[in-house]
Amino acid sequence: MALLTYREAVIDIEAGEDVLSALLRAEIDARHSCRAGVCQSCLHRAVEGKPPPAAQEGLSDAQKALGYFLACLCRPETPLAIVPAQEAGDRFEVNVQAIDRLGGDVVRLRLEHGPDFVYRPGQFVELIAEDGLGRHYSLASHPEEDSFVELHVRLHPGGRMSGFIAERLTPGRRMCIAGPLGSCIYEGIDPDQPMCLVGSGTGLAPLVGILRDACRRGHRAPIRLYHGVREPHGLYLHDQLETLACERENFSYVARALSVPPPEGGDVAAAVLERETAVADTAFFLCGGERLVTRLKRELYLKGAPLKQLRSDVFAPAS
Amino acid sequence: MSSLYDRLGGAKAVDAAVDLFYRKVLADGRIARFFEGVNMEEQIAKQRAFLTMAFGGPNNYTGKDMREAHKRLVAKGLNDMHVDAVIEDLSSTLRQLGVGENEVKEVAALANSVRNDVLGR
Repeated sequence: MALLTYREAVIDIEAGEDVLSALLRAEIDARHSCRAGVCQSCLHRAVEGKPPPAAQEGLSDAQKALGYFLACLCRPETPLAIVPAQEAGDRFEVNVQAIDRLGGDVVRLRLEHGPDFVYRPGQFVELIAEDGLGRHYSLASHPEEDSFVELHVRLHPGGRMSGFIAERLTPGRRMCIAGPLGSCIYEGIDPDQPMCLVGSGTGLAPLVGILRDACRRGHRAPIRLYHGVREPHGLYLHDQLETLACERENFSYVARALSVPPPEGGDVAAAVLERETAVADTAFFLCGGERLVTRLKRELYLKGAPLKQLRSDVFAPAS
Repeated sequence: MSSLYDRLGGAKAVDAAVDLFYRKVLADGRIARFFEGVNMEEQIAKQRAFLTMAFGGPNNYTGKDMREAHKRLVAKGLNDMHVDAVIEDLSSTLRQLGVGENEVKEVAALANSVRNDVLGR
């Protein structure tokens, strides 16, 4: 394997040269600005090989574990295959195992994958139905417990992927996924640090994966999960999560439907801001629509939460 | 004598200061409006770059970058008073972290050195 591979192409890199310079010399339009490891705009991800630690200075523990690095600081000594940070990377063939209606307009997809596909709970993939039709979905499954990946899909009336899943998808059909992507995972967290998971709609999916991972890794401190939806029938894992909250002493579950007046219902962000008081010591995971995630991130930060403890994953609507 | 950046503690000092500093800026009624609707991760990366420059650390920032980056804000009314507010927030961050008065002055002077570029003059 060559010392540097970008997407599929072998890139010429000189001894002691940094990856960013080599990419630019090869006329690849790599995003960059400061060239001093500060602005982080030249963030890339190694899909094969391990970047030198010096190239991961200032990144989060999750990003380090997932092979992200700064191209301007990276002088590889062993072979590296890299892609830009936001790019999904390799495609994998999967087999549709089950399609089940959960609650409201949410469908659960279970897809069998081969051993080549490796991921961490809480990451997301691009699900590719056919050429030109791909959407991002988070993973609710756990690689050490499940033989499949699990996706929660909200069916949008008139949505192309929704139509495909509702009308054309059947068990046994083969599809592709690309990824995994995202760094909202259980990493760099102290088992004695409280965790707060907040999701709106199918933002619950990655949180389920992260919750399962935290339990499996022996997380001891309290874990509080908030699920916010518009209508009560959107609380699609209500019974399972209530049961889990009864069984596990350190787990609690708060459900909020916007259409139900407070205190039982209302705005989930308000519930989080009211109940979460020790924000400086808590590990936050915020997943779902942009408005909720942006608002909570800002408010929690202003209340004293360090930005490193505000992990988030914004679900952007398909354009 | 070692450089200002080394005396302050290098990249670790930037790490320690950036959360405190950006929180002060967002909570500062004089300048908060310029940060409305921005992506916090991207903004924190920019603040890290700014602090690295102000701490005398390695950076490749040019006057042109500074002008380009703040053009939109100047059009929204960014002026000397707002630059003063940022330098004030920066100084109080450093004092809170126990940095000595001489270093605080040096940092403020470096931050001040980009004033004209930021304001497009």
